[in-house]
Amino acid sequence: MRILIIEDEGRIAKRLERMTRSFFDENLTSVCICDYLQKGLAHIAEHQIDILLLDLNLNGENGFDILESVVAGSFHTIIVSAYTDRAIHAFSYGVLDFVPKPFDEHRLSMAFKRIGATVKRTENSMKVLAVKKAGQLHLIDIDDLLYIKGAGIYSELHLQNGRLELHDKSLETLEQLLPESFERIHKSYIIPMKHAEKITVQAGSKYNLLLKNGEVLPIGRSRYKDLKKRLI
Amino acid sequence: MQRLLIFISFILILSSCKQNDIFQDQPSVYQTGDNLLWAKTTFNDQHWKNERGNTSDKLFWIRSHVRLLQSPNGPLGLKIQSFGSFDVYWDGVLIGSNGRVAKPEIAGTERSVFSVPDSLSAKGPHLLALRARQSYKQTTQRGVDIKLDNYISLLKSPLIMMSFMNLMAGAFLIAAIYYFFLFANSKRKEYTILIFAIICLLFFALLIIEYIKFYIDIPYTHFFVRMEVIGWLTFSISLFVPLYFSIQFNFKWKVLLFSALFSTLTAIYILNLGHYDWTAILYSLAMWVSAVVVVLYAIIQKEKGSIIVLTGLILSAIAVNFLYYDLGIFIGFTIIVLCMLYLHTLRVRVIEEEHQSSVLLSSRLKLELIKKNIQPHFLRNTLTSLIDWVEESPKKGVEFIQALAGEFDIMNDISDAELIPIHKEIALCKTHLSVMQFRKEMRYEWEESGIDEAEFIPPAIIHTILENGITHSMPLADGKIYFLLSFQRALNYKIYTFETRAENRLLTKERKGGNGFQYIRARLTESYGDRWEFISEAVPQGWVTTIKLYHK
Repeated sequence: MRILIIEDEGRIAKRLERMTRSFFDENLTSVCICDYLQKGLAHIAEHQIDILLLDLNLNGENGFDILESVVAGSFHTIIVSAYTDRAIHAFSYGVLDFVPKPFDEHRLSMAFKRIGATVKRTENSMKVLAVKKAGQLHLIDIDDLLYIKGAGIYSELHLQNGRLELHDKSLETLEQLLPESFERIHKSYIIPMKHAEKITVQAGSKYNLLLKNGEVLPIGRSRYKDLKKRLI
Repeated sequence: MQRLLIFISFILILSSCKQNDIFQDQPSVYQTGDNLLWAKTTFNDQHWKNERGNTSDKLFWIRSHVRLLQSPNGPLGLKIQSFGSFDVYWDGVLIGSNGRVAKPEIAGTERSVFSVPDSLSAKGPHLLALRARQSYKQTTQRGVDIKLDNYISLLKSPLIMMSFMNLMAGAFLIAAIYYFFLFANSKRKEYTILIFAIICLLFFALLIIEYIKFYIDIPYTHFFVRMEVIGWLTFSISLFVPLYFSIQFNFKWKVLLFSALFSTLTAIYILNLGHYDWTAILYSLAMWVSAVVVVLYAIIQKEKGSIIVLTGLILSAIAVNFLYYDLGIFIGFTIIVLCMLYLHTLRVRVIEEEHQSSVLLSSRLKLELIKKNIQPHFLRNTLTSLIDWVEESPKKGVEFIQALAGEFDIMNDISDAELIPIHKEIALCKTHLSVMQFRKEMRYEWEESGIDEAEFIPPAIIHTILENGITHSMPLADGKIYFLLSFQRALNYKIYTFETRAENRLLTKERKGGNGFQYIRARLTESYGDRWEFISEAVPQGWVTTIKLYHK
């Protein structure tokens, strides 16, 4: 795990670092602390990271202004902030968790435990996906998604209007952020359930999912049962 | 106000109808000497003079032929306005006297009323003969003014007039006292209030002096004293009324206008010595013209209430022109005073609104100050650091808590004040620095120079600049951030300079100064009006903020 902490309060940054080290222990590759935004953004640009711990108000600058750009990255973002009233807003951008200050070790580890957890969240879920395209950021409403296809470390966002966008997060990472109305049907596919029409069986007991628009996507053998349950 | 003006104009139209006299008189004739036969109707006075001439302290007679045109509906009365003392003969019968004619003369009053016996009140010609003496004011040639009317109404009409005038005088007296008190007790000395009070008092005096003749017997020897007093009262009113308008309407050329007005009034006085009524009319005219000039200027400048005042001035001119002088001028003046009162209420409303908004601003600033320490960014970050200190090093944690308590204490202490001693502000900054040292784990150095302990400053403005300094600065090579507060005096201002010596952070957006600067500006305005200057800018060594406070 490579972790970046952007926090302007020296004492709090050290606290975060200490707790992070104790949580990940030997799984930790690196922890870096940046005490202002510019420095943090430069770090992101130059280094690969897995988790960003971000304070929303840094030296009087509004962290929300850069939230769009960090959530478009491949890593998970955890907000650690005094502005608890901004939590819902932050979640809608697809942050992994919002840890309100003051926090203790338990609360922070809860946030870390979300990484890799498959339990879908019912509330505080993502509403938009920030996508970087030719250096520009733009937001895609997750209601506009037709399905998401994994492509290695990237994901392809197939939109209802036929367009295709690339997202820096992997399918696994996105799955942890997407709301309950999305279902992983295959190791390479996540769909919004509202677009599923019916399951079709191909020769050789291969299962496919027919979407309402007529497209057909494969269903993973191990996921067939869960999906069938949800469709009925 | 508009309705009131319409009402007044209606009254003016009504009262402008004059009633007809019930008699005709011929010019009086005079003869020095004494002969009781001269009282007879049958005596031929054709060779008598039309003027009194030089009668010295001798007796002389005045004869006046009058014709009663209609019966007076009751007892007939005779009103005589004249100088001197005299016995009154009506158709040869002695019906009364004014003063004592016999030597030594006791001066009569200028105005006297006599009852005429019913037997001598028939329609047709009558003869009035006065056996008179004028041993005082011998050179004053004053004719005899005769009026015949119902005796009761001759007595009553001054009473009716006086009842109205006293009512008005009372109102002006109350207004004068009220506005004097208002001026004496108000913190901000509004000179228009004082001027208005003076005008009300002058006007009260004018009304009382004008009508005092009806209830105090003034011997003709003192007749001109009253006139002289009335003249000077009118003179002063004629100066003060345009002055009031010019202040209320922010008239630009006050000095010019008032030197012109003053010289005009003085010229009127000198050129018309002894012509009291005429002088007063000219005074009022000069006042009216200058008031109109001021009001026209106000209308051009679109001052509030100027149109109404102009309407009032026009109405007062109508009143003076269409009513007989004494009444007209008072109604005219009353309208003008009403206009002034109206202007005053407009002004009061403006002051009220200003006051309300300043109270509102003060409470908003107070709230902002209190909010500083409970806003989530400060409170939650402090608590998080605090938890960490308590967990890691309880002893340090306690120190942290004490520093925090210290900052809260000072904040609590100053939150109600508009100005606080500078040493309190510095104490606040220092406790804030010790709190921030625990939070940021950075070393801050506080320095000060030239601070005058006796100086006052709005609460938490240096504190706000310090917060900005902490937020936007990175430590120098020695790992410290330096803050330096200095104070200097100059001839017409004093200046606080706050320097932050540190590396300025790079920002994603340009630093413009948000709520903090707004707070500082609002506080400075609250305490110093517009006599301050606030500059905050980056310099190579860090950041410099200056607060310049000008003397009045």
